[in-house]
Amino acid sequence: MNVEKLVKKYDGKPVVNEVSFGIPKGKVISLIGPNGAGKSTVMGIISRLIAKDGGNVEFEGADISKWKSKELSKRLAILTQSNNIQMKLTVEELVAFGRFPYSGGRLTGEDRAIIERAISYMELEDFRGRFIDELSGGQRQRAYIAMVIAQDTEYVLLDEPTNNLDIYHATNMMKIVRRLCDELKKTVILVLHEINYAAFYSDNICAFKDGKIIKFGTVQEVMTKENLSEIYGVDFEIMEIEGKPLSIYY
Amino acid sequence: MKTKSQRFPNKIKLIAMVVIVLICSAAYLFLSVKFGNPKLFRYAMKIRTPKLVVMLITAFSIGGASIVFQSIINNTIVTPCLLGMNALYTLIHTAVYFFAGAASLFVVNTNAAFLMDILLMGMTATFIYSYLFKKTKHNVLYVLLIGTVLTSFFSSIQTTLTRIMDPNEYDTLLSTLVASFSNINTEIILLAVIILAVLIFVLRRDLALLDVLTLGKDQATNLGVDYDKSIRRLLLGVTICIAVATAMVGPISFLGLIIANLSRQLLKTYRHSQLIFGATLFGMIVLIGGQCIVERIFVYSVPVSVFISVGGGIYFLFLLLKNGRK
Repeated sequence: MNVEKLVKKYDGKPVVNEVSFGIPKGKVISLIGPNGAGKSTVMGIISRLIAKDGGNVEFEGADISKWKSKELSKRLAILTQSNNIQMKLTVEELVAFGRFPYSGGRLTGEDRAIIERAISYMELEDFRGRFIDELSGGQRQRAYIAMVIAQDTEYVLLDEPTNNLDIYHATNMMKIVRRLCDELKKTVILVLHEINYAAFYSDNICAFKDGKIIKFGTVQEVMTKENLSEIYGVDFEIMEIEGKPLSIYY
Repeated sequence: MKTKSQRFPNKIKLIAMVVIVLICSAAYLFLSVKFGNPKLFRYAMKIRTPKLVVMLITAFSIGGASIVFQSIINNTIVTPCLLGMNALYTLIHTAVYFFAGAASLFVVNTNAAFLMDILLMGMTATFIYSYLFKKTKHNVLYVLLIGTVLTSFFSSIQTTLTRIMDPNEYDTLLSTLVASFSNINTEIILLAVIILAVLIFVLRRDLALLDVLTLGKDQATNLGVDYDKSIRRLLLGVTICIAVATAMVGPISFLGLIIANLSRQLLKTYRHSQLIFGATLFGMIVLIGGQCIVERIFVYSVPVSVFISVGGGIYFLFLLLKNGRK
């Protein structure tokens, strides 16, 4: 996937200003940066949820606007933060929605097998009959990830998956992200606020500020004292833990 | 998408409701009919059968429209009537009379008038409401506020039109405007059935789509649904249903709210095929049962719509309080 000179304006003000980057396959890529830097907007544009005002998004050899929405949904899945459902929906039914691009409303035997695998992969067997709105935040997030797994796409985009989760569930979420990449061979792109999660669990980091990319590279390249201070405007110390650069800020 | 866990009990519930509907219909048709006198029997049937059919159609149109509309806007206490679709229909109906004149085809021929109304209603309502949804980004509060304002806006224009109308034209208009359950517009039954049948055929595939739409715009797009286009299609269906119901029995404000929510509470599912069926059945029970009581016990002294409005108003408050406490 290649992004070229992406522009998005709200009320004439550019929130994404000529952003260009290429996304390497089979990696975990974290988008970081301060609030309002344009990370989530870029995420929305490359997943066709938000209309762009300029630039190109090339996906698997064709512009993303040329793709049929249905075909695209078999190749690319996105999970946003706004997931409030007013319906009475069980975990199993939610996961089953992941198969909608393939079989419409009618599930085949193969679909059911995939749904089963997704549920057991996310260890949701005990919750399958529970309603989504009766689950805790961590369980709900896992149910949504299971749906994304059932959607069976090469690319998975997650918008702040650790938002509103405690340390235990957030860490588990990041381990799941790693497994999606290592075991299921997916390319995972995620927006993160916790830079240490980004440093520890991703392969590449893309740092945004004021609607532009400031740094894009491997974790080692981006996670330096100078870079982080420039991005966030506060002082940083970098420590090496398990071979990964982790940051301390105060 | 079917799962084993929920299917069985819901099926039983729906079958039980079908049975109740049949009992109500039978009671409505045959209660206090003199079977001994074939002439009187035939006369009673001639009056009661069209009414029954109209009530069945109305239950389906309002039930289906309310469920679909609620799912589109992702809120269960909003109905098309609350947002002024009834008022819009009345306005359009009046406007046709006003501009075409009492002698024109669209006034003299009931079916032509009905078709014209539906055509205009479909276009204007779909345009207004899809624009409204898009502009407010599906914010329920804004939609409700604007909807309430639109209701009075449409009614005001309608009143103005009737004031400056030729008195003779107003006279013919009034007889078609004040449709109610005691004064049912039976001439358009056949056309209404045809329109609804075509509608069901065209939108039959969108039911599965509707299930996905309830996940929200982002999720639906993610699953490959063209969100705006689907919403427009479904809205068109909703407006046509409302137009059909209003043309036949006049506006009944709270019916949709009651039956849609009862159906959701009873069936506890996201599957719209079941929800719509449930709402339809509830509508039939409320209408036919209510009409039965009104005609046989109160001897027409209180129209059924009064009961529905009173009951519906209380139910609406109950829903608001219940949702507020969460």
